[in-house]
Amino acid sequence: MLYRITGQFKTNYRSDYALFPVRQDMFLLAVILFFAWVVFPLMASEFAFQTLLIPVLIYALAALGLNILTGYAGQLSLGTGAFMGVGAYACYKLVTIFPDLNLMLAIGFSGLFSAAIGLAFGLPSLRIKGFYLAIATLAAQFFLVWLFEKWSWLYNYNASGAIQVPTIDMFGITVSGPTASSMVQYYFVLFIVSVITILAINITRGRIGRMWKAVRDMDIAAELVGINLLRAKLIAFGVSSYIVGVSGALFVFLWRGAAEPNLFDIPLSFRILFIAIIGGLGSILGNFLGAILIIALPVILNIIPEAFGVEVDSSLLEHINIMIIGALIIAVLIIEPHGLARIWAVIREKLIIWPFPH
Amino acid sequence: MKYRVKTALLGAALGLGTLLTVPLASAQESIYAPNLSYRTGPFAATGIPLMNGQRDYIMMLNERDGGVNGVKIDFDECETGYSTEKGVECYEKTKSKAVVTQPWSTGITLQVLPKTNVDKIPILAPGYGFSPMSDGKVFQWAFNPPASYWDGASMMLNYISEGDLDSLKGKKVALLHLDHPFGKEPIPLFETLAEKHGFEFLPIPVGLKEMQNQSSQWLQVRREKPDFVLMWGWGAMNAGAITEAIKTRYPMDQFIGIWWSGHDGDLQAVGEKGKGYKSISWSVPMNDAPVMADVKKYVVDAGNSLLDKPEDMDTVFYQRGLLISMILVEGIRAAQNEFDTKVVTAEQLRWGLENLKIDDARIAELGMTGMVAPFSTSCADHTGHSGAWMLEWDGTKFVPASDMLTADQSVIKPLEAAKAAEYATANAPWPVNEDCKM
Repeated sequence: MLYRITGQFKTNYRSDYALFPVRQDMFLLAVILFFAWVVFPLMASEFAFQTLLIPVLIYALAALGLNILTGYAGQLSLGTGAFMGVGAYACYKLVTIFPDLNLMLAIGFSGLFSAAIGLAFGLPSLRIKGFYLAIATLAAQFFLVWLFEKWSWLYNYNASGAIQVPTIDMFGITVSGPTASSMVQYYFVLFIVSVITILAINITRGRIGRMWKAVRDMDIAAELVGINLLRAKLIAFGVSSYIVGVSGALFVFLWRGAAEPNLFDIPLSFRILFIAIIGGLGSILGNFLGAILIIALPVILNIIPEAFGVEVDSSLLEHINIMIIGALIIAVLIIEPHGLARIWAVIREKLIIWPFPH
Repeated sequence: MKYRVKTALLGAALGLGTLLTVPLASAQESIYAPNLSYRTGPFAATGIPLMNGQRDYIMMLNERDGGVNGVKIDFDECETGYSTEKGVECYEKTKSKAVVTQPWSTGITLQVLPKTNVDKIPILAPGYGFSPMSDGKVFQWAFNPPASYWDGASMMLNYISEGDLDSLKGKKVALLHLDHPFGKEPIPLFETLAEKHGFEFLPIPVGLKEMQNQSSQWLQVRREKPDFVLMWGWGAMNAGAITEAIKTRYPMDQFIGIWWSGHDGDLQAVGEKGKGYKSISWSVPMNDAPVMADVKKYVVDAGNSLLDKPEDMDTVFYQRGLLISMILVEGIRAAQNEFDTKVVTAEQLRWGLENLKIDDARIAELGMTGMVAPFSTSCADHTGHSGAWMLEWDGTKFVPASDMLTADQSVIKPLEAAKAAEYATANAPWPVNEDCKM
């Protein structure tokens, strides 16, 4: 009833190919955007900003980058964490070498470094496929983290080998560093994430996206119909690493404030891979749903007992939390192996034909 | 029918409301002191005894004296699993009512440190964190009493050279360290001293992934034949290093760890073979100290401790945990007396931690004679630079093996000032305490 599409006639191709052929989708998105841009920032506490809103957006962006490579172009990567690291270190070097550089620009540029490294590690993808390619990206992961540890120029010869985010102003407003307000940081992140998401939706819907999907589904067939495999795969590696690099720069500059090399180690790569898989490979929406499940849910579960005045031992709570999240992940994957995005698609389908299922 | 549903809903809402408000009301008469603990994750084995000690000391005070000057301490743990991400979550969760942050990891300290000037909550990192935090004029909100890593490094060198560093000339000192901010911490001091006194300094990093398998590092030790191996290890690295040292037959009496490498559990695994291994320590286990009897009586025997078995009280880390909480409580006490108040705020506690006077008389009053060396802090010195002892593994337990050692402050102080200034410029604008005229 709420999702009745009867009466929404398409009279030309243009409207049939529109981003939102169904009016309700547009309305729903408008509501979500309204919440993201207006309601949440007005209501959120410092805690909500720092542990829920900002990290969910940043992780969703990283998963989006990975999803383009793995979900759309079918190239499995285990090096996401390291590519985030490239973005973060590049951004750190940029802002320390050029202190007057606009942070938005610095973050944009740092994605280019990550894209370049991604292209280099993407080159073997023409020859090696599947698990073997995953191993090659794993090599990138180990090599890059090792580089972050050993190349002291990267962290400006800091004695403890960590990078610390300096205080940076943009148009008179402090955007990073300890004095930056959480709301400013949230809007900064939200703006970048929104722009990149819109671009990603359009790339994946268009010619390049179809090329990727063809390569993913069967690369020999794709080659036979005239798709240049090397080009398609390299574009995927480049675009994906760019987005991942930007998310890495946001990760350190707009959220963490400091980072040591092992932060970008394998656990981070796996975490983002989980978000992409649980959210749904080959979908944009899935990254956000996955990030909410993996990043925000544990935080919310942690505060529930306290909110109801129940005293639970903190380490016990942590164990329970891990079990609940683990069970949920398994449950989601059993119910719908294609992830949360697919679950939403099924619900939407059902809503459209409700109350007359066939 | 409708009416009944409404009353039920109203009742439920009221019930929920009282549930939510009750904890808030009772929080007024206590001091909220959270601890960012790690009883889960890869470092849990070393974390648990420390956290138990910290917790039990506060429990004992709450039971025996009804808290500090009549105010109970609401000691709470927030589990981080040693993950920096969880650490930030815990920090954000507790900061609205906490009087102190006990970060328990160099990674978390790094992230929280810049925020202290804004949130105005003191960081208490006894025996860990940045050594330059000692410079209280720059790091107004950070405290690492009673001794910093640089103190530890200097004392180790004083011990192996028997007080005369020039006697090390031409010798080779290796530093087996975790390749992580924590492990890299002492390197600047070693480098300065090596240059000054003409001994060869050889850092051997152990990556986080190689902690359990250090064969390549010990191959290097075998090849280079250093006269001494000093160790900055944590968690699984300690046990790994000690087993490898035994395997390569490195003489145990030339092998010395920092205080976090002196964990009974790590040595129990090798037992007799680890005999002679030493660890510098600012705390000494005193199983018959009066404070231990009180903790046993009020907490452990009462069944309120989280210890697995009462014998676990007789370990270095558990008793160090007690001392860490003692430092916090003494800070609270000093603040209470100065500001003539019962429930201290975070800013008042900062004053308290800055004016710690832990002299011999006070240590005796606390029932801790011999467990810790006397020290005091000031607005310029947030460490106190206490002395420490060498503990030696005798095959079953750690025993003191030296008189109290002291660090060479003439080298440490200038280095602290230089590194603190470096930090302040890198993080400009960084507020500095101008009122401190020491």
